[in-house]
Amino acid sequence: MLKFRDYSIKKKLTLMNMVVSAATLLLACTAFGAYELITFRSDVVRSASIQAQIVGANSASALLFNDAKSAVNTLSALKAAPNVLSGGIYTLADEPFAVYQRDAQEHIPPLPPMPAGQREEHWFAGRQLKLIRSVVFQGKLIGTVYILCDLQEMYDRIVRYAGIVAAVLSVSLMAAFLLLTTFQRAATRPILQLAETARIVSREKNYSVRAPSTDSHDEVGLLIEAFNEMLVQIQKSDAALQTSQEELEQRVAQRTAELDATNKELEAFTYSVAHDLRAPLRHIQGFSNLLMESSGPQLEPGAQKHLQRIDEGTQQMGRLIDDLLSLARIGRQEPRLQATGLNSLVQEVLRDLKTETEGRDIQWQVGDLPFVDCDPGLMKQVFYNLLSNAAKYTRPRKPAVIDIGQVSVEGQVVNFVRDNGVGFNMKYAPKLFGVFQRLHRKEDFEGTGVGLATVQRIIHKHGGRIWAEAEIDKGATFFFSLAAQKNG
Amino acid sequence: MTTMHHEEIEILLVEDDPLDLEMTLRALQGDHVNNRIEVARDGEEALDFLLRRGPHSGRSPESQPKLVLLDLKLPKIDGLEVLREIRAMPETRTIPVVVLTSSAEQRDIVETYKLGVNSYIQKPVDSAQFRQTVKAAGFYWLVVNRPPLVQA
Amino acid sequence: MRHPAWRRLSRQIHLAAMTFGVALFGTYNLSAQAQKVTEYQVKAAYLANFGRFAEWPASVAVDKSESFNICVLGQDPFGADLDAAVAGETIGHTHVLAKRISRPQDAVDCRILFISSSEASQWKEILVALRTLSVLTVSDIPQFTRRGGIIQFLLDGNRVRFDINLAATERVGVKLSSELLKLAVTVSRSQ
Repeated sequence: MLKFRDYSIKKKLTLMNMVVSAATLLLACTAFGAYELITFRSDVVRSASIQAQIVGANSASALLFNDAKSAVNTLSALKAAPNVLSGGIYTLADEPFAVYQRDAQEHIPPLPPMPAGQREEHWFAGRQLKLIRSVVFQGKLIGTVYILCDLQEMYDRIVRYAGIVAAVLSVSLMAAFLLLTTFQRAATRPILQLAETARIVSREKNYSVRAPSTDSHDEVGLLIEAFNEMLVQIQKSDAALQTSQEELEQRVAQRTAELDATNKELEAFTYSVAHDLRAPLRHIQGFSNLLMESSGPQLEPGAQKHLQRIDEGTQQMGRLIDDLLSLARIGRQEPRLQATGLNSLVQEVLRDLKTETEGRDIQWQVGDLPFVDCDPGLMKQVFYNLLSNAAKYTRPRKPAVIDIGQVSVEGQVVNFVRDNGVGFNMKYAPKLFGVFQRLHRKEDFEGTGVGLATVQRIIHKHGGRIWAEAEIDKGATFFFSLAAQKNG
Repeated sequence: MTTMHHEEIEILLVEDDPLDLEMTLRALQGDHVNNRIEVARDGEEALDFLLRRGPHSGRSPESQPKLVLLDLKLPKIDGLEVLREIRAMPETRTIPVVVLTSSAEQRDIVETYKLGVNSYIQKPVDSAQFRQTVKAAGFYWLVVNRPPLVQA
Repeated sequence: MRHPAWRRLSRQIHLAAMTFGVALFGTYNLSAQAQKVTEYQVKAAYLANFGRFAEWPASVAVDKSESFNICVLGQDPFGADLDAAVAGETIGHTHVLAKRISRPQDAVDCRILFISSSEASQWKEILVALRTLSVLTVSDIPQFTRRGGIIQFLLDGNRVRFDINLAATERVGVKLSSELLKLAVTVSRSQ
């Protein structure tokens, strides 16, 4: 059963109007009916009283001259009133003087007493009205008239009235209904159209539709105007939004293009710089070697040493250029992810490091490493850098223990490379991954300060994290995780 | 100018950088100056020599060098273009060409091989290694490798 | 004159009184079983009542008179009954008085004149004498209305009834109400 409030406006209006109409009609009819009922009684009484009066007046002489026949004649006029069952003229002694009966079987009742001094008295008994009226002729009481009325008519009238009320009610309600359905359309059509429009707007997100406007200046008309106005505003701001969105996208595209261009420039720049730096480096080195070869023996040891320094310097520069170049290359590279077994990468790197670590006592402890989605080339570089670092900084140790494995930290898989090397002061940890940042002296441990920066860049490109923990003289551990590396 | 048989050019060295040039020559010849290396300082000179144009129009068609050492970064006409032209002409098509350049870019490597280069060598930064590489290359291509005889 | 059948009549009237009430004015408190009503009591009442159903010409309007006189000419058959009947009665606001007169000329201030049957033989002369007067003539002389009288008492069984001569009323200028007329046995319009 639908609740009233869920009915359509049309239904609501119709229902309300019908109820109101019915109530009004019913009330009116009831009021009239009641009035009729009440007045009917008094009407009946009055008409009976009048009849009695007329009869009385006309039979005054009959009473005075004892002419019962004349009195009967007069009474018989009551025949004209079909609701009069019987009537009688009574003498002062309350004896029946003349009687009238509508139907033969009706018996003549005795005269009910009337209080002294009263001209008229009437009683309602069941379906009958009994009325007595004094016959007064020229101020003197000469007799009494008694009339017995049948009120069946009244009840018939009531029933008839009720029937009429019912009929009128139904006809009126039907008419009301018909009229309503015609007229309410005029009132509800704009609302329904508005509702439909709103539905379309919300369903299709189409703000160009408009609710059809009405000519009426009532609240509905205002509502429609306001609604349309609102749509205009929405359209405008939507368009503005669109425009600004397009602008933004344009700007973003522009910036991206700029960024790309810049990147490319940078890339080209870095590349050509590194490249173009190589040739003179080669020359410096080459000719200083030639000098060494050709005139070396003739030089004093100091001068020879200078030449040596020149050679070392150029070598260092060569390494720097190589490292910078590789860092730049990684910067512009997007990792091409594929499922890779980290253990196989580690094994490759260990092979590559074999020559470097020739003759050294290194214990490589390689644990089970996971399979991850990563760029194998780049990850290999990571391991190369980390492992060569570990090897480098464990040079004073015999044996050097280098641990490679995975551990679970807060539900995430983290790989680590641990060594028992010289470690570093955690105070300088923030500088660890900076470009050209070194935490050790060059003469103690060679290096360019680019290795870890490269590693960090690669890890970040994979969406991962890298950090280190160390203690001076105890060793260092480098932890790293890659994006979406979860347990299991 | 007529070229004597015993002055046959064995190597055409195409190199624009003077220092690189000197180092390469030293590597190839040691301390002995050798006439058998023709030097071209740019792509135009290289083509002029190989195709016997301009100042080299008097060269005999039978005497083509056994090896062309070609740098890629050259003024006027760059190495890639030179290589393309060499490989386009029937009389120079079969001459062994070895690219000797600082670039290690894959695109350069691929392009040169597409054009039919015989070998691609990156100039080592380290001078000692440079000398070694050039010497070895020269030895291989002049001694070990058997060049085709030029069909006139 | 009392008939020998009077007894029978009296009884019948008594009967009538038991079954029909006769409305009498004022002091008369008739209880049907208790009272016997005589013929002349009834007629006396009628006399008084005739006045209520008649209208005199404006010149002699009832309410201008001191009294409404009901006169008896000749031998008075009513006796005290007439006086009793009119005692305290008013017609309009005028008191009703009963008078006895001996000569018709004395009927000048009479409204209703009952001519006793004793004057039957002189009726013609009485009529002439009353010509100028507006007097309602009532009698139980036989053929009274035929001979120019206005109201004639009749006896119908045990009931007192009357005839009316309408032409005679026109002659004296008295109008009689149709209420009265309808009660008359005969209403003659001639003579």
